[in-house]
Amino acid sequence: METGILELYVLGDITPDERLQVEEMMSKHERIRTEVAEIERAMELYAGTNAINPSTNQRDKNLNSLLTNFADDSTFATKKPVVKDNVIMMPVAPTTNNFYKYAFAASVTLLIGSLVALYNMHNQLQESNTQLAVLSSQNQQISKAVSFKDQQLINKDDQLQRFNAQLAGSSAQIGKMIGFKDKQLGIFKDTSYKLIRLKPTGKVPSANMTVAWSPAKKKVIIAMAALYMPKNDREHQYQLWALVGGKPVDLGVFDKTASDTADMKEMKPIGSADAFAVTLEPRGGSVNPTMSELMVLGK
Amino acid sequence: MLKNTYLKSDISFISSPRRVKRYPLTKKHKISLSEEELVLALTKREKVAVEALYDMYSSSLFGVISRIVIDTPVAEDVLQETFVKIWHSFSSYSTEKGRLFTWMVNIARNLAIDKIRSKDFKNQTKNRELENNVTFIDEQRNTVYKPELLGIKELVGTLKPEQKSIIDLVYFKGYTHVEAAEELGIPLGTIKTRLRMAIQLLRKHFN
Repeated sequence: METGILELYVLGDITPDERLQVEEMMSKHERIRTEVAEIERAMELYAGTNAINPSTNQRDKNLNSLLTNFADDSTFATKKPVVKDNVIMMPVAPTTNNFYKYAFAASVTLLIGSLVALYNMHNQLQESNTQLAVLSSQNQQISKAVSFKDQQLINKDDQLQRFNAQLAGSSAQIGKMIGFKDKQLGIFKDTSYKLIRLKPTGKVPSANMTVAWSPAKKKVIIAMAALYMPKNDREHQYQLWALVGGKPVDLGVFDKTASDTADMKEMKPIGSADAFAVTLEPRGGSVNPTMSELMVLGK
Repeated sequence: MLKNTYLKSDISFISSPRRVKRYPLTKKHKISLSEEELVLALTKREKVAVEALYDMYSSSLFGVISRIVIDTPVAEDVLQETFVKIWHSFSSYSTEKGRLFTWMVNIARNLAIDKIRSKDFKNQTKNRELENNVTFIDEQRNTVYKPELLGIKELVGTLKPEQKSIIDLVYFKGYTHVEAAEELGIPLGTIKTRLRMAIQLLRKHFN
């Protein structure tokens, strides 16, 4: 009460929430009701001291404005039906006219609005189509780029496969080489082998080669790595002969090429031999050695 | 004159002798009822209530309206609007919420403030001659003491000027106490205290 809220309530300077609070307090407490009533009375009397009489013609004007309304309120029932008829009958025709007029106006407005909207929609559609075309061309470019990348990837894959194949080939070669080396090593280890050095006979002074021969196993092997012979041409091949009791025995042909230097070549088997010799013969070899073409000889 | 005669006959026709007692519009003496009787009559929407309402409260309400709306014809329009609104929205008044006058003065004050803030009114003020403008604005904005409006000779000495200016701003001119604090350049707490003091002095004075 001391906050002055009751005064503000009476002065109308209060928020709706505060107003509800005050009204609730008033309904509960007689003392607050009395206090508010006293404040109201004081303010009413103060307003009275500030009163100004409106000019006398205002009284009629005001009362008439209220009493005209008074008549509108259902205060005289007897006149009602007549008034009602008049009120309803009069506006019927104009309202219908107006209705069609307004309906027509509304239709035209709607039509114009629709056309404008349609035009706008059409423009938007075209714009959208253009955008769509641009987007799809972009899309194509992207997919082209993607397929190009794919192709690259496939190529890379191929390369990789080829590389792998090469690697496999290489490792096979390496394996083969290792096998040969093992074989060579085996030959050198095997005490049954004799290493026979064939020496030049004078035709080619630098020619020499080594033959590994195991009489026990009847094996003859040429170490291609230690084959120092001139390269043979396409029509000719070297032929290895064993001399057994003064007669030459064919042990097979071989080539001197640049590539297979690491190889070892197993020749035809023979159990006994006095000496080994190599002649240059026509490709495929001959039945009897051409003595003029004797390259190397050794025992 | 012609219009008045017409209206008079019209009214007398409405209030036929059988239904309601006859109350001629141009009465020599004013009707006065107790507040309870008036509220009851207004609730029943009796014709006598309208006249009593006008006779009992028109001058007090017009005093408040005239403090806000300086132009007399406009103030008279607002007074009429006030009575129309009181009459039409009377069902929203309840005795539990306070005295009838408190409710009515709020309506009058709000309508008066609406009027001076309305577009019509602003246009109208624009049309005033420039020389009148300065005094008009002064009248609108400041609490100018107008002895002819106040009639409070007996109150001189009861309220101090600073108390009176606050109560006039809030009660008559419809300022909120926050706006009044800004207008007078006084802290809000002081405003509230002075307002309360002033009203307590008024209570004492009228007891």
